[in-house]
Amino acid sequence: MAGLSPSERRLQKELMSLMKEPPPGMEVDSDKAEQNLNLWTIHMKGAEGTLYDGEEFQLQFKFGPKYPFDSPEVTFVGNNIPVHPHVYSNGHICLSILTDDWSPALSVQSVCLSIVSMLSSCKEK
Amino acid sequence: MADDNIEPDQASFDKGYSEDANQVNQDDLILQQSKNIEKEISDSIMLVGDKEDIMVLEQQYIGDEVYKGKVKDLARKYSNLRRTRPDGNCFFRSFGFALLESLYHLEFNSFRLIAEKSKDKLLELGFQKFTLEDFHDQFMEVVNLISKPETNEDTLVEVFNNKDYSDYVVVYLRLIASGQLQQDADFYQNFIEGNRTVFEFCRQEVEPMFKESDHIHIIALSTALDVGVRVRYMDRGDSTEAIAHDFPEDKPPQIHLLYRPGHYDILYPL
Repeated sequence: MAGLSPSERRLQKELMSLMKEPPPGMEVDSDKAEQNLNLWTIHMKGAEGTLYDGEEFQLQFKFGPKYPFDSPEVTFVGNNIPVHPHVYSNGHICLSILTDDWSPALSVQSVCLSIVSMLSSCKEK
Repeated sequence: MADDNIEPDQASFDKGYSEDANQVNQDDLILQQSKNIEKEISDSIMLVGDKEDIMVLEQQYIGDEVYKGKVKDLARKYSNLRRTRPDGNCFFRSFGFALLESLYHLEFNSFRLIAEKSKDKLLELGFQKFTLEDFHDQFMEVVNLISKPETNEDTLVEVFNNKDYSDYVVVYLRLIASGQLQQDADFYQNFIEGNRTVFEFCRQEVEPMFKESDHIHIIALSTALDVGVRVRYMDRGDSTEAIAHDFPEDKPPQIHLLYRPGHYDILYPL
C-alpha cells in the first residue's frame, strides 16, 4: 500500500471492513467507492418495526483530504429522502457527530449506525 | 426557527427549499468564517514552537503590573517556555510533547508498557478496533522514537509539527482520557455539569479534536498514564505568584504547563 496518504489508507481500511462485515441492512457500493475513494454511496434499508420499515435510502459520503480529522460530508441522495425532523428535504442531515461532535475515532460505520438509530427513534413523520 | 423573508440561496441548494435550507446556509457561513480564523492561526503559529527564554513573557505584558509580577515569580522557578498552537488541542499537544521529552530522563520502559497496555483497556471499553489501532500505532511510533539514540529535541519538534504524527498523538491521548473517564464514570459524574452522562461528555468534549480541556481532562489523562502534571495558572487573580495545581494531587510533577485563560504552553523548571 505504498504511496497512499494516511487518509487514503484509512479509507481503504474502512471500505474493506464495510464490505466484509456490513452493519445490518446496509451495503456499500464497492465498485463506485473503489473508482473514487473519496465518494461513497451506501444503500440503506429502513429498520424493521420502525416507521421506515420497507423503505430504501441512499447515503452519500464525501471525504476531504483531512479525513478522518475532518468529518465526512454525509447526505441522503436519490429519489427517496426519509421524512424526518432532522433530515432536510434536500437530503442534508442534522446530526451532531457530523459537525461539532465528530471525532477521528468515529468511522463510516459508526455514522451509519447513528443515522439508523436517529431514524428508528422517530415515532411520527 | 427560519426567517421567511430571506431568499433561499439557489446556488447552494439547487432545489431551493426555503426554511430549512436557509438555516443550513447560515451554518455554512459561520463554518467558513471559523475556518478562515483557523487558517490564520495555523499559518502564523507552529503546532509546537521552539524553546524560548521565560522572560519573553514579560514583553507581552508591558504596563500590566499583575501579570508582570507573576512573570517575575515564574522566572524564579522556570527557565524556559515552549509555546503551542492555540487550536483547542493545546493541552493534549503540550502534554504529549512534554511527556516524551521527560522520558529521556525517566524510566522509558515502564512508560512504554503503560502506553502499550492502554490499547487493551480502550478495546475493553468498546472503542472500535480498527480506528483505535491507527491512532495507537502512530502514537507508539512517536513514543519509540525516544529510545533511538539519534532522536533529539529537534527531532521531536519536527515530529510534533507534522500533522500526520502530531494529530494522531492528540487523538490517542484524547481517547485515553475518555477511557479513564468512562472507566471511573461513577466518580467523574460528580464533576460534570448539566444533564450529560460521562459517556455523552466524552463523546462531545473529550474525543472530538479542537475541544478545549478543563481540569477533568487533565485529571483523567494524568491518572490514566500515571504521569504527574503541575499546571501554573497565570490569570488576573490577586495572588502575586502563578498558583500551582498538581494532577493527580499526590504525584510529584513530571511535566510543567503554563495556563493562561484558554491556553496551555510548556514550562521548563530551572
